[in-house]
Amino acid sequence: MADGILLERAGVPAISICTDAFQVTAKAMADVYGRPEFEFVVIPHPIASLGVAEIEANVREVIPEVLRILEGS
Amino acid sequence: MTTQQPSSGVAQLPLVEIDDIRRVMEHYAEHGWTDGLPVMPVTESYLSEFFDQTTRDPDEVLVSMTHLDRECTVRLAAINAAMAGCLPEYFPVVVAAWAALDLEGYVAKGIWQSTTGTAPMLLVNGAVREKIGLNAKGNVFGSGFRANATIGRAIRLTAINVFGLRPHELDQATQGNPAKYTACIAENEEESPWPALPSEYGFDDGASTVTALTMRSVVHIEARHTTVPEQLATDIAGTIARTGALIHETISACIALGPEHAHLFAGAGWTKADLRRFVYEHATNSREALASAGKDALSAKTRWRLAGEHPDSTPDTAAERGLSEINALTSEAAVLVIVAGARNAGVSAVIETFGPRGGPPAIARVE
Repeated sequence: MADGILLERAGVPAISICTDAFQVTAKAMADVYGRPEFEFVVIPHPIASLGVAEIEANVREVIPEVLRILEGS
Repeated sequence: MTTQQPSSGVAQLPLVEIDDIRRVMEHYAEHGWTDGLPVMPVTESYLSEFFDQTTRDPDEVLVSMTHLDRECTVRLAAINAAMAGCLPEYFPVVVAAWAALDLEGYVAKGIWQSTTGTAPMLLVNGAVREKIGLNAKGNVFGSGFRANATIGRAIRLTAINVFGLRPHELDQATQGNPAKYTACIAENEEESPWPALPSEYGFDDGASTVTALTMRSVVHIEARHTTVPEQLATDIAGTIARTGALIHETISACIALGPEHAHLFAGAGWTKADLRRFVYEHATNSREALASAGKDALSAKTRWRLAGEHPDSTPDTAAERGLSEINALTSEAAVLVIVAGARNAGVSAVIETFGPRGGPPAIARVE
């Protein structure tokens, strides 16, 4: 989350992605950085134990959301 | 505050209504300025007693979490030490603890917020132990001693109140561990057959110091009947090498020997260096044992251990060298040896630490 905000602050379009298990912490970090409205993408938990196909499926699912946020930034 | 005239005994002392005390304590609880236990109320006049114990300026920064843009000053450290129940004379140890934690470096790297759930652990050496009543003997990892309990708690309250590391928010620990309430022990130098830990790293004998560790677990070792140093060292090595502890390719550990075990080694002519070397050489797993636990390879990106069939896997260093026995430790320098606890049984512990996996530990002198 911090990386996404710092990249955006540096003028680099960025998307922060976290799993639903980290949603509360992600929001807390956005608040710490003074960007409570910072939009990020939430995917289902977990990641570490998934195979390639499942990861790819999760990525495809959120691509429209990623594009929507990037186009709006 | 309401005062009453005492009928006898505590002559002339003002008595405070319990409702007033409760109101103050609930004020702290309602603001979340706590680890869950009641905290000690703090006033400016009480704080000044803490400042009197140090030459440092109250505005001096002791440690920073740059990724959160937050700093802990001497003043903030003192407030939280007082809230934790420290006496003012403990404060130099708290200041040294922050210096050691800063030197260790994990505090600035986000590990204190990590899912792994580590806790900072402090080891105190030297004359200051006796001066402030730090326990180094029986129940050393347990309760019962104000200095141990409150110095460790001062670090946790600062993490919560200064850095904002509250569980379910910026503290993401999956489970945490009990040391996240408090973790401050002292070395039992008087019943150790060897020089104290800091003297191995250039500090004078008897120097008052704080060593900072980052720990996940304290794993106990029951070995009451052996008199053979190789058997005891093998027991310790096997404990260190357990697959559950293998998060990274290699790990680190602090062996906290009970005095009885320390004297078993020393009586057989072993030095601490001998023990470290033996443990490094014998804390190993076979390739099959690692594979059966799904930890026979590394992540190509993070170098964390995972199964060879994982899509992100890459061979570990031992595989690249064609070794069938895989060391859990990078070198003998990844093992610290201390003596702590009572001389009443063949019981020791392995403190499972996060780094350094080589190099000296982070030690700061108590000023």
